[in-house]
Amino acid sequence: MGELLRVVAGRVVAVVPVVFGITLLVFLLNAVALGDPARAAMGQRGDPEALARIRRDYALDRPLAAQYGAWMSRLARGDLGHSYHQQRPVTEIIAERAPATLRLALAATLISVIAGVAIGVVAARRPGSLVDHAMMATAVLGISTPVFWLGMMLSLVFAVTLHWLPVSGYGDGDWRHLVLPSLTLGALHTGSVARMTRGSLLEVARQDYMTTARAKGLSEPLLLIKHALRNAAIPVVTVIGIGLADLLVGAPLTETVFAWPGLGRLLVASVGQRDLPVVMGAVLAFALVYVAANLLVDLAYLVVDPRTRANH
Amino acid sequence: MIGAGHGLGAILAGIAVLAATSLGEAQEARKSGGTLRAVFVTDPPTLDPAEATDLTSAAVIRQVFDALLELDDRLRPVAALAASFTQSADQRVYTFRLRSGVRFHNGRELRAADVKYSFERAARGKRPWVFEKITGAREVIAGRAGEIAGIRVVDDLTVEIRLDRPFPPFLYLMAYDAASVVPRAEADTRGAGFASHPVGTGAFRFVSWRRDDQVVLERFPEHFRGPAPLDRVVFRIIPAEITRFNEYRAGQLDLTDIPTGQCQSVQRDPKLSGDVAIWPTLGTHAVRFNVERPPFNDLRVRRAIAHAIDPSIIVDRLLERCVAPARGLLPPALPGYNPEVKRLALDRDLARRLLAEAGHAGGKGLNPLAYHFNTTDINQRIAELVQAQLKEIGVALELRRLDWAAHLKLVDQGTAGFFRQAWIADYPDPENFLTVLFHSRNAGAPGNTSRYRNPRVDRLLDEADLMAPGRARDARYHEAEQIVLDDAAWVSLYHYSSRALIKPYVKGLERSPQSSAPEFLSPLRKVWLDR
Repeated sequence: MGELLRVVAGRVVAVVPVVFGITLLVFLLNAVALGDPARAAMGQRGDPEALARIRRDYALDRPLAAQYGAWMSRLARGDLGHSYHQQRPVTEIIAERAPATLRLALAATLISVIAGVAIGVVAARRPGSLVDHAMMATAVLGISTPVFWLGMMLSLVFAVTLHWLPVSGYGDGDWRHLVLPSLTLGALHTGSVARMTRGSLLEVARQDYMTTARAKGLSEPLLLIKHALRNAAIPVVTVIGIGLADLLVGAPLTETVFAWPGLGRLLVASVGQRDLPVVMGAVLAFALVYVAANLLVDLAYLVVDPRTRANH
Repeated sequence: MIGAGHGLGAILAGIAVLAATSLGEAQEARKSGGTLRAVFVTDPPTLDPAEATDLTSAAVIRQVFDALLELDDRLRPVAALAASFTQSADQRVYTFRLRSGVRFHNGRELRAADVKYSFERAARGKRPWVFEKITGAREVIAGRAGEIAGIRVVDDLTVEIRLDRPFPPFLYLMAYDAASVVPRAEADTRGAGFASHPVGTGAFRFVSWRRDDQVVLERFPEHFRGPAPLDRVVFRIIPAEITRFNEYRAGQLDLTDIPTGQCQSVQRDPKLSGDVAIWPTLGTHAVRFNVERPPFNDLRVRRAIAHAIDPSIIVDRLLERCVAPARGLLPPALPGYNPEVKRLALDRDLARRLLAEAGHAGGKGLNPLAYHFNTTDINQRIAELVQAQLKEIGVALELRRLDWAAHLKLVDQGTAGFFRQAWIADYPDPENFLTVLFHSRNAGAPGNTSRYRNPRVDRLLDEADLMAPGRARDARYHEAEQIVLDDAAWVSLYHYSSRALIKPYVKGLERSPQSSAPEFLSPLRKVWLDR
C-alpha cells in the first residue's frame, strides 16, 4: 500500500510542472501568434469602441503576464474561468463533454486490446506462416490507415448501404452510435497492440521456464494463459498506456467524422473561435488524462510484475 | 430579384399586401405535424440575438425570435411584430405600432418597453452597428450611457425611434436578427445563460441544445401568426461535409449542402438530381489590395494584377459552374445590382505594359509578393490558380495561409498588402456593400480593409446613403462601384450561391438569397412535410 501511495504521489507532483509548461505554451501561442479573441467574436465588422469594451470584458486589455497570472491563480482554486463564447464556466463545459470522449476512448481501447491481443496471439502461434503474415499485414494496415478515411468507409458500408448502424451522432447515448466511431478509433491502435503482443510472446516462448512448463506436460492453452501471456503483458501494457494518449490525439478527427460531441471537437472549435479559456481548459484536461494513463500503466506494472514492487 | 427602383411608398404598400398574402398562405392546404431534420456545419456559438455574429446562430434565432419586421423571399421588409409604422417627413423618426396580444414563450405579453430594452441590450453586444444610426446609440455602444436617447416608449404598444440622419436601409435593420425582441425579465434573470436558454415570441420555442450535437425546437402554438405546421425542428451539428452527405443519403436529414466538388455529379445522379437546389446569394468572393502599402499604392500595379486574373477558370474548373462569375462588386441578387458594370478585362499584354510603366517590367523589384488567405481547401486552390495566372506576367506570389482569426488580424492591422476577403451583405442594400467596404470613414477594421480613400466615391456614397430607394440612388452607387473597380481596390472573382439538397417532401422552404445552405435563414414556420 505504501509503495502504491508513493507511486501516486510521485505522479501527482510530476503533474505540476507539466501543467505549468503546457498551459504557458498554449497561452503564449494564442496570445502572440494568433488573432484577437474579441475581434474574432465580432465577425467581419469590427467597431473600435465595441472592440475596446469587449477586450475590457474579457480582461484582454491587461498585460499578458497579468492575464496568465490571473488564470493560474484561478486554477489553484479549481476555477478554469469563463468561456468567451458560451459565457459559462469552463469546468461546466468540459464536464459536459468529457463523458462522450471518455466513453469513446474506453470503447476504442477495449476493442484495440481484445482485437490486438487476439491477432498477436494467433500470429505468434505460427511465426513465419501465412497466418502470421496475414495478421501482421492487418496490423500494419490498421496503424497506417487514416482515421478520416477509415471512418468514411465504415460509415458508407454499414450505415449508408446496409443501414445497420447510424451514420453519425451521439443519439441518446445508445451503443449503436458508439460502434463505428470506436471501431475507427480502435483500429488506430489495434495494430500496435497486435505487433507488441506477437513480439513479446515470441520472446517469452524462448525462455527456459516455458520449455520446463512444456516438459511438465502443460497443455498449450494453459501454457499460453498461465505463463506466456502474463509475462508478455508488461510491454503490452506500456503500449496500451501510450496508446490511450494516441487515442486522445485521434479523437478530434474521429469525433469530427462521426459528429461525436466530445472534448476533441470542443478543442478544435475553441481554437477556431479563439476561446482561450476553453482551449486552456481542454488542453489541461487532455494533459491530465495523459498523466493519469501513465499512472495507470505504472500501477498495472505493480500488479503484473512483482519485481517492480520490489524496486519501489 | 427585387426591381431596382422600389421606393419607400412601395415598401409601405408592400407590407400591407404581404400581410394579406400571409393570411392567404394560412388557408393553403398544408399538412400539419412531423419533424424537420436540418443540419449545421458548426455548433451555434450562441442563441442570444445580442451576441450572435454568424449564420448558424442566426438560423436558430430567426425561428425562436421575431423582430419588428422581417424580409420575405424577395427581400422586401414585411410586417412581423409591428402591425404598422409611420415615418416622419424628414425621414428621421419611425413610429412602430406593435400587434396586440403577442406573447413570449413564457406566456408574458409583448410590450413596447421590451423593444427598447432589446435594442439597448443588443447595442452593447457584438453587432452594435445595427443600432448606431439611432440618436444616442453611440453613447451606449461606447459604454458611456445605459439608455439610447433616440428610442422612446410612447405607450404599451407604440415605440418611436429617432435617427441622427435619414437612413433608408433602416427598415432592413429592423428586420435583422440582431434586432430581435427579447423579454426583459427573462434576459435579465438569466444573464449570460440567456444565450443557451432563449425565450422569444417566434413560431418555434427552444427545447434543448446538446452542444456540438443538436438543437431542438418545437412549435409555439400561441404564435401571433397561428401555429406552424411542423411539430419540431431538429438541427443536427455535423462538421464533416461528407458525413452530412451520407446522413442525407441514408435518409436521416431532410436537407443539407452539396459537398465541395460534387455539384455536377449530384445533378447527374438519378437519385439526387431532383433534390438539387442552387440559387444566388448576397456574397462576392474577392481578392483585395491594401492601397496604402507599396507596391499596391501604385494604381498601375493593382490594375496590372487585375488585368492578369481570369476568374472564369475558377468558376468553371474549381466551382463547377455552380457559382456566377463576378462582373462587379455587387452580387446580382442584391437590389441595386448594375448589369452594365464592367470589370477590368483579362488582358495580360496590357498587364505587362502597366507593370513596365510602373518600373516593374517582368515583375522586377516585386518578387515575391505575399498573398494572404484564410485556410480552407477552396481558398488554397484559388490562391494556387491566382499564383499561376500572375506568373504569366512575371509576378511571383508567395502564398501565406493562416486561420480566420489570425488572417483577420493581419488584414485589420494593414499588414497584409494583397489578400483574400469576401463579403456577404448583412442586409440587401448597396450601402451595406459599397459604403461599408469603400467609404474612407470605414477604413480598417470597420470594413474598408483596402483602406481605399477617394473623395469622389465618398461623396457619391454619402449622397446615395441618404436618398430614398430609386434610380437616382442606384445611379450614384453604380458610378461609385465603377470607380472602385477601375481603381482596382479589389478584384471580384465570383458571386456566391447556395447549393443544397432538399428532399422533395419538404414544402414551403423559401430559397432566400440570405440563406447559405445548410444554414437556412428563411422562416421555418412556412415549412411543411408532404408525406
